[in-house]
Amino acid sequence: MEERPKNNRQQSKTDQTGTAPSGTVSADQYRRKRIRRVTQNFFLHIHSTRVHPHALKPTYTFGLGVMLGFLFLVMILTGVLLMLHYTPSVDAAYNSVKDIVHVVPGGRIIRNIHRLASNFMVLIVFLHLLRTFYTGSYSGGRQLNWVIGVVMFVVVLLMSFSGYLLPWDQLSYWAVTIGSNIAASARELTDLLGITRFADIGGFLQRLLIGGETVGQAALTRFFMLHVIFLPLTLLVLTGVHFWRIRKDGGLSRPNDEVTVKQEKLYSWPLVMWAELAILAGVLAVLVLLAFFVEAPLLEQANPSLPENPAKSPWYFLGIQELVSYSAFAGGLLVPVLFLYFLFSIPYRDREEEYIGQWFSGSKGLKVTWKAALMSLLVVVLQVFVMVRFGWLRDWFPGISQWFVLLFNPATISVLVFALYAVWVGRKSGSARMSAMALFTAAIVALILFTVIGIWFRGANWEFVAGG
Amino acid sequence: MQRRNFIRKISVTLASVAGVLTGISFLKQFTHGRAGSGRKARVGRLADFPVDTYTFVEEQKIFVYRDHEGVRAVSAVCTHLGCIVLRTADGFECPCHGSCYSETGDVLAGPAPAALEWYRIEKAPDGVLVVDMNETAPAEEKFYLT
Repeated sequence: MEERPKNNRQQSKTDQTGTAPSGTVSADQYRRKRIRRVTQNFFLHIHSTRVHPHALKPTYTFGLGVMLGFLFLVMILTGVLLMLHYTPSVDAAYNSVKDIVHVVPGGRIIRNIHRLASNFMVLIVFLHLLRTFYTGSYSGGRQLNWVIGVVMFVVVLLMSFSGYLLPWDQLSYWAVTIGSNIAASARELTDLLGITRFADIGGFLQRLLIGGETVGQAALTRFFMLHVIFLPLTLLVLTGVHFWRIRKDGGLSRPNDEVTVKQEKLYSWPLVMWAELAILAGVLAVLVLLAFFVEAPLLEQANPSLPENPAKSPWYFLGIQELVSYSAFAGGLLVPVLFLYFLFSIPYRDREEEYIGQWFSGSKGLKVTWKAALMSLLVVVLQVFVMVRFGWLRDWFPGISQWFVLLFNPATISVLVFALYAVWVGRKSGSARMSAMALFTAAIVALILFTVIGIWFRGANWEFVAGG
Repeated sequence: MQRRNFIRKISVTLASVAGVLTGISFLKQFTHGRAGSGRKARVGRLADFPVDTYTFVEEQKIFVYRDHEGVRAVSAVCTHLGCIVLRTADGFECPCHGSCYSETGDVLAGPAPAALEWYRIEKAPDGVLVVDMNETAPAEEKFYLT
């Protein structure tokens, strides 16, 4: 919601119908007073003096970015409180978290808020990604900020991943065991190529992540450091750059049509302040209320010889877990890396600027989005249906080479189909934006579907169940 | 080539080599494991393992199987993502992502990329069985015929 006061002076000259009240104070003095209010206050200084009215449209931004900022603050504050009572050692971690829940006054609520805020952060950072993509807000000089945003998305996911090793309960232990073995699954590829002996990338990544072959004290120390120092600092710096870029890029994206361009900018103070305070109040109210009813789970203490059955990660990683259950390397490394590569490359492939600030790039884009969503639904559901009803390669050809298991599974086949579909849409429409919309939509719909399958349709031994 | 360019090239090359080497040694710091105790483990005496039973050894995460002909040891760690497999009537099954292994540890279904490994067993002078997890053995091989 920031605006760069590009031609402030010029505008204030032409702006004779401003919001200044008539009276003894001249309009010009009034304006100066407001500008001083903003420029001499650190918190208001994050914003520019004037803001374009389009940036304040609730149905354009939904206030998602501001919500994320506040959630991050809540995470820092509650995190510091939790740190007062937490002991990062294999022997003491579980009991210290138990103490936080049952002994420390208010500890349960603080922990619930921390966990709820992290869940909301993952959810809202995802929605924020959708918002910026579907409004075409990555082009028109905003390429760098989009890339920074994608990095922040990854950092938020890593923060939550590193956070759930800390309680050292069953979920912690097995989720991180699985996670670190996903990193090690590069071995699946190097084994097939027969080069693991010379270039054990998987083993290197695993040792880098957890400081050994199995999850133990080294892993806990590392994850504690990542969770409380490295990742929050990274996110803090990136948040600063992200906000700063918004101003450098001339405020939030908006359509280039005549009506919007001619609209007069408004003073940020106090409009933006009220809007943001309202969002802050809403966020805090929701968090505090929910914290009394939604308990952060704490399972039994980690037991390295008996996994939970089924061993499920938090809901937002179950889509990846579903992919991983087809092939560790393809689902855990290959497909996510391809997806991230695609996200990073979007603003450099699609340089069409006529769609900036329009939801779904107008009716044509909306049609492309719907078609891609339907196509993705069909492709995913069909494959999962085949898999559940008839099995997959290993059931048909026992002893089939691992190459086939790695290369042909619902994860890789979906990626291939989506990519071909996007190329086709691009050819047909002659627009990189439409092609990007098709691929993005298909990928997101598939991710949501795989997540839904992981949450509700997988039971003991990761077998398919109808609505577990 | 001018002397200036030559010096520039040499120094850039030297600096990059030094940088790469420093980088590697720096990364090594993060991947340095604690001095290992080796991968040989004393798991107990023969009499500790009931006949015709797969006994789970918690610390090493292996199953030790004993029948009237001898003992064998198989890894209990799923080759997919490291969960502990469960013993079933006719093989092993992983609770995390449903990989199934046969009686001999071969992959029957699911995402596991490789078979479960069987290890060589030695007998220490004091009679304790030692599983050597550095050395794999064929699934059928039985040690210490009695």
